[in-house]
Amino acid sequence: MKIAIVNYGMGNIYSVQSALRFLGVESEFTNNRNELLKSDKIILPGVGSFAEAMKIIKRLELDKVIKEAVLENNISILGICLGMQLLGISSTEDGYTEGLNLYDGFVEKFNFLDKRIKVPHIGFNEVVKPDDTILYKNLSNNLDFYFVHSYRMTTKNKNGVAYCNYGEPFVASFERDNVFGTQFHPEKSQSNGLALLKNFINY
Amino acid sequence: MLSRNFRLQKVGDFSWLKKYYNFEKIAFSLDELIVLDVTRENRNIDEFSSVLKDIVKNVFLPVSAGGGIRSIDDAKLLLNSGADKVVLNSTLYSNKDLIRDLVKIYGSQFVVGSIDYLTENNINNVFIENGTVKIDKRLEEYIDDVEELSIGEIYLNSIQKDGTGQGYDISLLDDVFKKITTPVILAGGAGNAFHLIDGLRQSSVDAVATANLFNFLGDSLPKSRRQIIENNIPIAKFH
Repeated sequence: MKIAIVNYGMGNIYSVQSALRFLGVESEFTNNRNELLKSDKIILPGVGSFAEAMKIIKRLELDKVIKEAVLENNISILGICLGMQLLGISSTEDGYTEGLNLYDGFVEKFNFLDKRIKVPHIGFNEVVKPDDTILYKNLSNNLDFYFVHSYRMTTKNKNGVAYCNYGEPFVASFERDNVFGTQFHPEKSQSNGLALLKNFINY
Repeated sequence: MLSRNFRLQKVGDFSWLKKYYNFEKIAFSLDELIVLDVTRENRNIDEFSSVLKDIVKNVFLPVSAGGGIRSIDDAKLLLNSGADKVVLNSTLYSNKDLIRDLVKIYGSQFVVGSIDYLTENNINNVFIENGTVKIDKRLEEYIDDVEELSIGEIYLNSIQKDGTGQGYDISLLDDVFKKITTPVILAGGAGNAFHLIDGLRQSSVDAVATANLFNFLGDSLPKSRRQIIENNIPIAKFH
């Protein structure tokens, strides 16, 4: 099993690799088209600005490669945090930017009238498991995962969407066909996160 | 005048650290880990980053790292060594442009601003450089300045209480904290689970931190976590 972690210069890859290694899986940090197309599964990490990320991804032509890998080669992809957001249609972070359009979700900033609800949303928070799921297979409901984000996704999809509540419900994770995304960091969510990563790897 | 609490205990080299701060064993009792390089002379961020890598190898929780970050490259090095967030203290005062750059490049959630303060004659004074240099701003004003930088969290440490194990400086909270919109991590003085619980009960506090050795030895942290849960304080549960 070879997991490719997309290298576009943004994202805490060290922790993702450590988690995968702990689970007994080797991973390669790459932005090489051939390696990505040959991989068994792809992880798209991400920390930072959506606009900045898409700029780099487009410059490296990774948008084309990722779409080819997912849509033509049917390789499964897991987007983590910003990586999950990038799989969506668009984001309003730093202006309006289009995403990879692999999942129909929109990303906007948390905007609370009640200023006591602080942004970014940082910390562990409970996630409601969706009915039909690969990621949460054999996991109990209402487990805590680690979130750290100011922007969040909303979607009209009902299937495969796990919600978390922070001032309002927002998409904690989605899964549809071979496209998966988690707003939280499974590699930072202790045993809960490791179990979820294992589900993605093994399915 | 240096509070006695700032006399650092020389704890020896990294192998001692590994033996007593065995993070793999206690990681499940924590929500997050903060690793600070408080070396006073000849700070070497490359060395620190390799220590960091070793510490985080088998722990799967958020890690903040800091101590002497003076450039974007420094921050990048720590991020690539396992840090999720960087902690900056003196830089918050002396190089606000760097803070703005880090926020712009990595996002506000990446930056934790650490503030050390000491209350003298009813005035809350702010110190930088490992708590040795008093700056000319009072805590209340300084927090306003810091909030303008749009960082992700504020780590607020009471120099007076730090190292005493006698509890956090809760008295300050209402006046100073009420208007802070940035998430606050309370630090300085925790000696037992009740202190942690008291801190977490304050509505203006988002997280509590402890560096007290005794909180790391043996069973203390798992026990504390159980007590926090028993006191109905919402905290993450890990199976």
